[in-house]
Amino acid sequence: MDHSSLPSPFRLLWQQFRIEWRLYARDRGAMFWTFLFPLLMLFGFGVIFRSGGPPALTLVRVAPARETERDRAFLKALEESRLKITTLPAPQAEERWSKGGTMAQLESVGNGYRLRLNSYLLVQGQVAAQAASQAFLVAQARLNGSPEPDRIPLVIESPGHAHSANYAAFLVPGLIGLNLLTMGLFSVGMVTVAYREKGKFRRLAVTPLPKWVFLLGQILQRVTVVVVQTVLLLLAARLGFHIVNQGSNLLLAGLIVLGTATFLAMGFALSSLASTIETYGPISNLVFFPMMLLSGVYFGLDSAPRWMQNAVFLLPLSPYLRVLRAVFNDGATLAGHGAGLAVIGAWAILSFALAVKRFRWV
Amino acid sequence: MSGQIVVRGLRKEFPKVLAVAGVDLDVAAGEVFGLLGPNGAGKTTTLEMIEGLTVPDAGEIGICGLNWRQHAPEIRARIGVQLQATSLYNKITPREALDLFGSYYPKRRSTEGLLELVQLKDKADAYHVTLSGGQAQRLALALALVNDPEVVFLDEPTAGLDPQGRRSLWEVVGAMKTEGRTTMLTTHYMDEAEALCDRLAILDHGKILRSGTPAELIASLGIPSVVELTFDGAAPDPSAFAARLGSPVEARGDVWEIPTPDPKTLLPRVFTTIESESLEYNQVHVRRATLEDVFLHLTGRSLRE
Repeated sequence: MDHSSLPSPFRLLWQQFRIEWRLYARDRGAMFWTFLFPLLMLFGFGVIFRSGGPPALTLVRVAPARETERDRAFLKALEESRLKITTLPAPQAEERWSKGGTMAQLESVGNGYRLRLNSYLLVQGQVAAQAASQAFLVAQARLNGSPEPDRIPLVIESPGHAHSANYAAFLVPGLIGLNLLTMGLFSVGMVTVAYREKGKFRRLAVTPLPKWVFLLGQILQRVTVVVVQTVLLLLAARLGFHIVNQGSNLLLAGLIVLGTATFLAMGFALSSLASTIETYGPISNLVFFPMMLLSGVYFGLDSAPRWMQNAVFLLPLSPYLRVLRAVFNDGATLAGHGAGLAVIGAWAILSFALAVKRFRWV
Repeated sequence: MSGQIVVRGLRKEFPKVLAVAGVDLDVAAGEVFGLLGPNGAGKTTTLEMIEGLTVPDAGEIGICGLNWRQHAPEIRARIGVQLQATSLYNKITPREALDLFGSYYPKRRSTEGLLELVQLKDKADAYHVTLSGGQAQRLALALALVNDPEVVFLDEPTAGLDPQGRRSLWEVVGAMKTEGRTTMLTTHYMDEAEALCDRLAILDHGKILRSGTPAELIASLGIPSVVELTFDGAAPDPSAFAARLGSPVEARGDVWEIPTPDPKTLLPRVFTTIESESLEYNQVHVRRATLEDVFLHLTGRSLRE
C-alpha cells in the first residue's frame, strides 16, 4: 500500500478542467446566457439600428398654408444641405411627431419659423437644427442679394474614421466587455459563494486534491469560456455585419487577457464579502447594474453630466470599453489611454490583493 | 500510540461559545466508535478537528500514528469522510462523482463495486439533483469509501432519513466493520448508537460525560429497568404518588417513568399504590434501560430535546 504516491497534479488539473467543462455544458441556462445571449443582442440591436453608415439626419417640414418666396428659398437652401427633408401637411406632421418618429420639425409661426426638437433624440436633433440654421442664413442672404455665407461642411464618423458610427460595430466591444463582467461576477463570484455555502469546498478539503489544482482548473475553464464567447462574437460580427477588428489583433488579444484577469479577480474579491447566496445577490447587483448601464455597453454616456462621466470612468468597465473601442473600432494604439489603463490596472491589483487576503474555503 | 485514532486535550472556542472543552479519545483499529450527544454538544466540531477541517485551539490528534502538522496529505489519502451536508455539482452523476473523487487518491476502489455496495446501480447515471435524500446520503457514504480508507468518519450518517433508509445505511456500516475499517461516527439517535457502535462517548457542552460499550454505559446507571405508566393525555403530577410509593417518579409527556434495579418487587407495590390512590391510567410496561436513560441521568435532559 503506497500512500505517498499521490496522482500528478497536472493530470488532476486536466481532469478538473474537463469535468468543469462537461458540467458547464450540461447547464442549459449557462449555455444560453454565455453563448447565445450576446449573439442575440448583437443581431437584435444590430438589425434594429442597421443604417449601413452614419445615421441619417432628417428634418420634417410642415407645409406652410401659403408658400411665400422666402419659404421656397429656405427649402432650396435646406435641400442643398445634407439634411433629408420631408415636407408633410400639418396633420400628418403632427401625427408623426406624436409617435416619436421625428427628430426635428420646422414649422412656420406668424412671420417666421420655429424648430421643434424631440427631447428623446436631442443629439441628432441638435445637429439637424444647426444645419437648418445655416440653411436659413443662406436663404436670407440670397433673398437680400448679399454675399452668401459659407456653410461649414458636416461629416459624421467614429473617432478613428474607420467604421462610421455603425451601431453593431459600437456594440461588439461593449458585449465583449459585458461578457467579461458577467463571467467575473456570476461564473466566478457567485459560484464561489455557492460552493462555500453548500460545503463543496469542505468536501474537497478532506481529499488529497490540492486546492490550487481545483481553483486553477475552474479558472482555466472560465478563461476558455471567454475565449469561445469572444471568438463567436467576432465571427458573428464579421459574417453578419462585415465588422472586423480595425486595430492590431495582438493588442485586442492583450486587452481581452487584461480584462479577463481584472474581472476574474473582482469576482473572487466580491465572493469574499458574502457568506451566502442571499447576501451575495444584492452585492453583485449593486456592482453589475451600474456598470452594465453606465459604462457604455449599449450606449455612449457623452450626453450625461460631466461628474457622472468622471465617476463612471473610475469603475473598471468604462475605461476598459473606451480603450477596447479605440483599438477595435478605430484601429488606434494605446496612446492616450494611460489614465484608463491605470484605472483598470488599479482595480485588477486591488481585487487580486483582496481576493488573496480574504479568500476562504469554508 | 497504539490506537488508530488518539486524541488528547482537544479544545476549540468560537467567538460566542466554547464548542469543545478538553476531549480525550482512543479508538482501536477495526472499532466502530460513536460520539453521542444532542445538537450543539460539540460532536461535529470534535469530528471536524480530527478530520483536519478545523484547526484546534489546543490538543493533539493522531491518526494511524500520523499528525496533521506533518503528514496532512498522507492522512487525507488514508481517511474517508462523510460530512453532514455533502454538496456536489447538481448535474454530476453518481458514477462520474465516484470516478472523479477516486482519481484524487493513490488507491481506489472500483466504481462498480461501490455502486453495488450502496445499492445505487440503477441510479448510477442520474443527475445528483434527482437523487432522493437517502440515495444522496448513500452516495456520500460511497464517496467516503472511494479510497479504500483505513479510517472512516461519518457525521450524522442517517440524519433526515426514513426508517428504511436508515436500515440500509446501517447495513453498509455493518459491512464496513466486517472489512476491518476503523469508523468514527456522530449521532443523536440512541438506537443507532446501540446498533452500530462497539464503544461510545456521550458528549454534552463540549465535554465527554462518560464512555464505554453500550452495555457498560447502561449498566453504569445501576437501574437496569424502568416501569412506565401511560395515561390518556398528559400525565398528572406524580409527587403524591411518589411519596406513597417511596420511589422517584418522573412525568414525561403522557408517561410516568419509575426507574428501578428490581422490577419484581416494585411492580406489586406500584399496583397497591394505584389502588389506594384510585389512579386512572391506561397501560403499564416494564422495559430495559436504554442509552436515552443514561443520557437523561447524566444531563437531566432528553437527547431529542
